[in-house]
Amino acid sequence: MYKLSASFIGILIALMVTFNGILAKKTGDYVSILMIHIIGLIAISLILIIKNKRINLKKDIPIYFFSGGAIGVIMIFFNNISFNNLGVSLTLSLGLFGQSITAVIIDHFGLLGMSKHTFNKKKTTGFILIFIGIFIMIIGG
Amino acid sequence: MIYIILAFITGGLVILSMILNSGLAKRIGVFQGTFINFIVGLSFISLALLTTNNSMDFSFNNLSTVPFWAYLGGAIGVLVVATTNTIIPKIPTIYSTLLIFIGQLLAASIIDYFTGHLVSKWKIIGGLFIVSGLLYNSYIDKSQKDQNQLLDLP
Repeated sequence: MYKLSASFIGILIALMVTFNGILAKKTGDYVSILMIHIIGLIAISLILIIKNKRINLKKDIPIYFFSGGAIGVIMIFFNNISFNNLGVSLTLSLGLFGQSITAVIIDHFGLLGMSKHTFNKKKTTGFILIFIGIFIMIIGG
Repeated sequence: MIYIILAFITGGLVILSMILNSGLAKRIGVFQGTFINFIVGLSFISLALLTTNNSMDFSFNNLSTVPFWAYLGGAIGVLVVATTNTIIPKIPTIYSTLLIFIGQLLAASIIDYFTGHLVSKWKIIGGLFIVSGLLYNSYIDKSQKDQNQLLDLP
């Protein structure tokens, strides 16, 4: 059941990228991102109110932890541009590839305070398969 | 080509924001962290709108031509955060990436078909290659984990 829900998350992400991309095409890149944030803020505020959660900003939180939202804006911006030029499946596949490579680099060197996990060379095979898959998607268009 | 690079970089940014967001979530809670993210994002995009000479059309006539569901992306984003935090801890990581991607690919192919982007057999074949690559690597991860457990390594 939970496994089915994990695929459901994937469907939600595909829908989100599509809706955001269409909104960007109709209202422009900047206005669409503004709209997306206003509606997202309303949604999360409702959840906080329903769950009766309070926000307690302790003083010892490093400032860079607050930059996630700004990176989110850039992510939506890039996704919207890619969606309108590549379609949703290629945008998501390339994103997945970028995610895997970044995760491997961060794990291997133990960057950003993460624990170090040396890259297992056997996994090169998997990455080559993923790369071939993306190559076929781009060339076969 | 530039769009291919942009989509690839976005994947890297996803990981970066995941690390930052989970760091914030650990300290103040998942939903509180998401709230802060939207506040910071909103301030950031407002600043970008004010500082660039971007022509904006907030007129009702312009905004009402957009079908209402196209505005739901932000709310779906919040739903993704909420579902992810409920489900992911309950299934092995081996499956989560794989299943999320299969869900994405399936939905994406259907959406591409309906939004006029081409769905060729090559996109499906390419997708199967990606799934097999993910499957292979999760198998390697799993066998390494099992080995570590035998040797009593962390």
